Amino acid sequence: MNFSLNEIEATAKRATRGAGYAWGIAEDAAKATRWLCSQGVDGVVELARVLEREFTGSLDDHVPAGLYCDWDGGKDLCPLTVGVLLSDCSHMLLTGPFRIRQVASPMMLLPFAAHAARSQNVVAIVTTGDFSAATDGARLALRNDCPDWADHVEVALGDILTEPCSPQTRATPDPIAWKILNRIAHRTYAPATEESRLLGAGAGLSDND
Amino acid sequence: MNTANPNIERRDPATVMRLSRLGSLHQCRLSFMRQLTRRMAAEQWVFTRPVFDIDDNGVGHAVYSAQSPDHIYSLVAFAHDLPPEQRSDRVIAEAWDATFALFDGVPSKDDIQRLSQNVPLQEAGRISESELSLSRANRSVRLWTHVVDRLAAGQQPDLEQIYKVGYLMRTTAVYGSGKFGAADREKIADRSEVSGPFQAEMLSVYLTRTFVRDLVQHMASVKGGTQTAQLDPQIARWLGIGNSTGLGMAPFIVNHPILFNNWIMVREEAIARVRSIETATEAEVAKFLDIFERSKLSISWWRSEHPIQIEKLTALNADLRAISDYLDQTDLTGNRPWDRLILWSQAALSEEGQELLASLILEPYGELVDGLSSCMADANKSAFAIDGAMPVETVRHLIGNSFGWALDLNWSDPVHCARAWYVSEEKLEPRLGERFDEPIAEYEQPLAPARDAAFAYEALSDWPGKAPIAEFLLRHPEHRHTVRRAQMSRLAPYGEIRDNTISADVLPIDMLRAKLSFFGATHFDPRSDRWVRICMYSGAPYPEELSSQSADLWVYPERGQ
Repeated sequence: MNFSLNEIEATAKRATRGAGYAWGIAEDAAKATRWLCSQGVDGVVELARVLEREFTGSLDDHVPAGLYCDWDGGKDLCPLTVGVLLSDCSHMLLTGPFRIRQVASPMMLLPFAAHAARSQNVVAIVTTGDFSAATDGARLALRNDCPDWADHVEVALGDILTEPCSPQTRATPDPIAWKILNRIAHRTYAPATEESRLLGAGAGLSDND
Repeated sequence: MNTANPNIERRDPATVMRLSRLGSLHQCRLSFMRQLTRRMAAEQWVFTRPVFDIDDNGVGHAVYSAQSPDHIYSLVAFAHDLPPEQRSDRVIAEAWDATFALFDGVPSKDDIQRLSQNVPLQEAGRISESELSLSRANRSVRLWTHVVDRLAAGQQPDLEQIYKVGYLMRTTAVYGSGKFGAADREKIADRSEVSGPFQAEMLSVYLTRTFVRDLVQHMASVKGGTQTAQLDPQIARWLGIGNSTGLGMAPFIVNHPILFNNWIMVREEAIARVRSIETATEAEVAKFLDIFERSKLSISWWRSEHPIQIEKLTALNADLRAISDYLDQTDLTGNRPWDRLILWSQAALSEEGQELLASLILEPYGELVDGLSSCMADANKSAFAIDGAMPVETVRHLIGNSFGWALDLNWSDPVHCARAWYVSEEKLEPRLGERFDEPIAEYEQPLAPARDAAFAYEALSDWPGKAPIAEFLLRHPEHRHTVRRAQMSRLAPYGEIRDNTISADVLPIDMLRAKLSFFGATHFDPRSDRWVRICMYSGAPYPEELSSQSADLWVYPERGQ
């Protein structure tokens, strides 16, 4: 089934929140998932993979220890927390590459690299092994397959962007991954009670008149 | 936004963005319905009804097409035979008197077949990238029966009854922007005719109104046969479309701070421009006085059974008398007349009256005001990104600007945090609950920006002022959404409500009214503290009547019509 990008974003936001991330991270993760889908990459699969790692149980182990050296954590880094840092620190892209150690689902870093590229009006190149991605914020060009885990990722300034993915206005996510997001999103919904049905939504005077 | 050198500044957000004032806003020249009708007339849109296939039980479908210079949009309407016990305005309803989709283009038979299997199901169905909106409507049983019976008996309906109710059907949801599979807003955001906020939705409702008029005539003819009267166009004109809106709309204005800012700031800019005018011509004054008289007539038809609105209407009617007295004694031609009027209103009138006047003074100045409507959409994609290099002290300053009033509140006092916004499992409907009486706190949505700002401000106080905010956010992701909003406030001074959205006495209807007033709604009729009915397009010309003369001021009725 195909979905609007708005539906992808809304579900991704709820799922990220449902997985225990802060609302602000959920907002970024949702836009990131949407952006991947708009490039023809199945962002739903990428996000589901991240959320299933359940980093939020001990998030401090999965975030970089500091801003000004290589980004490294006690354990595998969460690409969402690294991603928002990359986006927040876009100005640092101009003074040298970001080096990120042991990161899960590096594909999820691409939308944040795109954010940084757009903010600084540059092309950013994300490389790990023989995989590389170039983005100017709006467009994305991919070379080779992105691994599910990377020991070392570098995000650096690039110059040109060739053969970008063709932009998509709809997403056809992998049904299993979509189900996973919806299952996790469900944790954000309060169970319905008759009391909330009447009071919470504000039923008042008759509406059959 | 260009500023035409107004000497009078826009009003302070600290005044404008209070909930009680937002809950007293009135439609104005910039309202989305009026933007649309002016454009449709100016561009000479062509309207057709290629299909009207409704049977004697009122079941079937119809298609209404609107052709702008560059695109065609078609309302596909399905009429149903709804058992009365299933008629409910609530989002939990599962069947309606009529259901609609706005199709981008002219639907083929296959499209209609596909839509017929999905649109009647509303949230339980799926639409596609070819559809721009999905909506439904229920009859106002009282007025529907009255109009059908009168016409069938060869008589015209009673105008007093029409004034009292205002519409034959009320929509209970109009979904756009990618909901339930519809096209994302990006698909149409660059089309001039629908690039403004909610223009596709407003078009859908405009065409719905025409369908409903045709349907009631059809049903009257089925009942009355050859003796049936044709509904008098002068009477039909006063049939609007109702809308029944619940809590779903309230989070919208919190979740879209830049967009909401643009609406408010554009209106404030318009008010500032008009207040800055040194002298008014006789014609401008005459136009204002005429519109004021006509708005009094409209307000005289405004009914509500809700105690809060009854009180506000009493105050508004007293305001109208005070305005009349003031206008009788005041020369409006010289000495910055509109500024004098607004300054006088601030001391003399309720917020209802003040905001009515603020809207009305814009009416003689279309040339000064209408162009601002192009600034009301949110085209700023970059505002979402957080500038991580911003020093902590700057973020604290920004938070203080919008939420200084909230920083010293005791946010653990139940009075200040009595409520929590949450999404229920059932139909994913936003609700507002009692934090201390219901098990909802763990499901709370981020719809209390003031409380969250106070918490972030406190957390930031432990950090060096020069530290980059990115470093703080690395350790405190729980404040990320608040920091984002604080940075947005640089671009969006009117983006934050300056009131507590989770207090024991918050009135969600204030948030609903703020949004609906920009649609151009009139006759706000709260049905509880979190549910409001309104009227749309009452007085508007139907497609065949639309002209540059009728396209703008229809919202103000004229005596003798």
